[in-house]
Amino acid sequence: MVSKEVERLLLKVQKPGRYVGGELNEVIKDKKDIDVRFAFCFPDTYEVGMSHLGMKILYSLFNSVPYIWCERVFAPWIDMEEQMREHNIPLYALESGDAVSEFDFIGFTLQYELSFTNMLNMLKLSNVPIKSCDRNDLKQIVVAGGPCACNPEPIAEFVDLFFIGEGEEVDLEVIELFRKCRQEGKSKQEFLQLCSQIEGVYVPSLYEVEYNDDDTIKSFTPKCGAPAVIHKRLMKDMNKSFYPDNFVVPLVEIVHDRAVQEIFRGCIRGCRFCQAGFIYRPVREKSPEVINSQCKALCENTGYDEVSLSSLSSSDYSQIVPLLDKLTEWSKDEKISISLPSLRVDGFTDDIMNKIKTVRKSGLTFAPEAGSQRMRDVINKNVREDELLSTCATAFDGGWTTVKLYFMIGLPTETLDDVADIANLGQAVVDTYYQCPNKPKGKSVRVTVSASSFVPKPFTPFQWEPQDTIPQLHEKQQHIKDSIKTKKIQFNYHDADTSFLEAVFARGDRRLCKAMELACEKGFHFDGWNDCFSLDKWLEIFDECDIDPAFYANRRRSFDEILPWDHIDYGVTKDYLIKECQKAYQNTTTPHCRLKCNNCGAAKYGEGVCFEKRKNMV
Amino acid sequence: MKNARIWFKKDYECRYISHLDLNRCMLRALHKSKIPVWHTEGFNPHPFATFPLPLSLGFRGVNECMDVKLEDDSFSFEQIISGLNDCLPRGLRVFDVTEPVMKAGKIAYADFTIKIGDEKTSSHTVCEQLKKLLALDIILIEKKSKKGMKTIDIKQGIKSYAVSEQFDTAQLDIILSAGSADNVNPNLIISAFNTRFGVDYDVDITRNDLYDSEMQLFR
Repeated sequence: MVSKEVERLLLKVQKPGRYVGGELNEVIKDKKDIDVRFAFCFPDTYEVGMSHLGMKILYSLFNSVPYIWCERVFAPWIDMEEQMREHNIPLYALESGDAVSEFDFIGFTLQYELSFTNMLNMLKLSNVPIKSCDRNDLKQIVVAGGPCACNPEPIAEFVDLFFIGEGEEVDLEVIELFRKCRQEGKSKQEFLQLCSQIEGVYVPSLYEVEYNDDDTIKSFTPKCGAPAVIHKRLMKDMNKSFYPDNFVVPLVEIVHDRAVQEIFRGCIRGCRFCQAGFIYRPVREKSPEVINSQCKALCENTGYDEVSLSSLSSSDYSQIVPLLDKLTEWSKDEKISISLPSLRVDGFTDDIMNKIKTVRKSGLTFAPEAGSQRMRDVINKNVREDELLSTCATAFDGGWTTVKLYFMIGLPTETLDDVADIANLGQAVVDTYYQCPNKPKGKSVRVTVSASSFVPKPFTPFQWEPQDTIPQLHEKQQHIKDSIKTKKIQFNYHDADTSFLEAVFARGDRRLCKAMELACEKGFHFDGWNDCFSLDKWLEIFDECDIDPAFYANRRRSFDEILPWDHIDYGVTKDYLIKECQKAYQNTTTPHCRLKCNNCGAAKYGEGVCFEKRKNMV
Repeated sequence: MKNARIWFKKDYECRYISHLDLNRCMLRALHKSKIPVWHTEGFNPHPFATFPLPLSLGFRGVNECMDVKLEDDSFSFEQIISGLNDCLPRGLRVFDVTEPVMKAGKIAYADFTIKIGDEKTSSHTVCEQLKKLLALDIILIEKKSKKGMKTIDIKQGIKSYAVSEQFDTAQLDIILSAGSADNVNPNLIISAFNTRFGVDYDVDITRNDLYDSEMQLFR
């Protein structure tokens, strides 16, 4: 619901449908029946935020509690922000149209580091003080969760409390505690201290950091009874875990405009660059029956004609073929297509191909991640070239003529020869097409090769690694370009500048807060968008704050250094990460969880793949 | 197979969605409601729906229509109305279903109610300005076309109009050429108005009815 003042702006901005709410299935409640109001903020545009599954789950979950009203807030695009500032209109929530500053909780989901400035900008647009210490009352509690909360330090001064791990239970516990604290007239400080006792809650103001002369961390000390280590929360039984039977169906087209069905959490693979592969351990699957009925309900309640099965690696779902059988039983009649993103090169079988082809043919994307076999062993991708080529042959036989291949450059130990192999692998895929007897007649093949720049992330075996410098990355990009000899390969690469800033934020510490604050003051926003991003402006800020960004991005850490996120526990032990890092240097792979338990530490949760019966076990 | 013309209102939040987005909303609602509409038989089968005259983003529409083909007669028109309304956002409301009488190509005119004004200006002043503009013999405006900028006379596209003072705004009721041949978008009138008087009032445009070349109501 939008106010008259907002309506006046709507015809002056692009895509005004993003700012009005009023979608099918949005939740409207009567304020009289509500104790706690939660503004769920996604620090990016409506189209991006509305595509995010986590927000859909938590929105439905919160609103299933009678006394909570959860509303959605997105970052207005530049033109709308300008209009809002010019007309003194504060940021508002879509459902009620009420200002965000009126809410009890202002929650952010942090999906990528470059959205940090958007978070601060949204607080600023709401007229809420950005720093935690400037918000003294038991209201406007700023909370944050999501994968980037695994290293909360660069934004520690702004957020009152972080949710570590999966939010379905811990979020509600905190909201309930808030309700109780307010009834009892407790202060914000008392509330935060009580929160810190809940497993999975990190209250950064309750910790003190000391630094060494070389700027590394000397000590990290809890105060007021806060725990020394914060353990992540996770949903033990995915079959019983809350899942919405309903999505808000947007009026305007969004990035992923379809129903999304989660099939499992975690990933068995342990690719060494992949943060998600470690922080969501262990793998916990939903049963085909549960997935089938949840899928059906979602499609019926939203009207979507496409449902995407979501996970970190769909073909690793242990019962993928029986599941697809079940789904295609009804999806064909209802003219619903099933899409399977995140397919592994070695998981694309004839069987799966025929099932996802039944209604609609979607594009094919594979991620070999590295060009040479040695590099793929270093990152533990466990995919061989012949597997990729035979998969492509299967696809070409099945009528596909375009394949997208994703790679990374700047991986640890990588040489220019390794990089040239990216182009060679693309060429091999092109050659495979022309050797395919059943390829589509009279059509040419198109192979898209995309190379992003590697960003070392916390909680991965590469968390100690330096990122390649920007000139090194440019050299590698150029080397791939020069190595491609055919027009059938289209080469895309990511801007190295943004990857550099991402690397600074990803492994930053609390001293970055100063830079964030200054960036917010100067009106930085949408760093993840080319329209707004400027590395030069960021370098000026770092300079002004006396921060050397290379200290965070390009420095090799020693295994015994205290890392800014060491007080947070995602289940995988540091020893295991060190072992994996050393194996990478020796080009040695690690078998995945279903082949062998490698004792990473995640078995302590007592659930999931760690307790599955392995095929090779007697 | 039976043709059906579905009549609906587009208002509130849904004023602010484009024709393309409206199309998507309608297709999803048709799909969700399980009304047996004919689907296209191409590569990506989807419900077949056409809109006799799309509505610009920002306009309210009180008599909008969409044509579909029904695969069987088992669904009554009443069932279609309630079925679709259950599946549509609140800004889109279906109120009637009829068998089409005229083809979409017959549309020649559309009538609009345009409210213009703001708190700072009296509605009388705005009315006088409107009258001045519309009394001109030629109203030239620059219009972007595929071949670049083009100057056109929109006065020829005005069939009739009436200016009236409402309690807080000026109201222009106007019938304009519409359809695939000589469509005049009321935004062109507003932009001519703004340019002439150097103003930027709040504007609220509603499309009421569509007509054929004989000014018979489009049905």
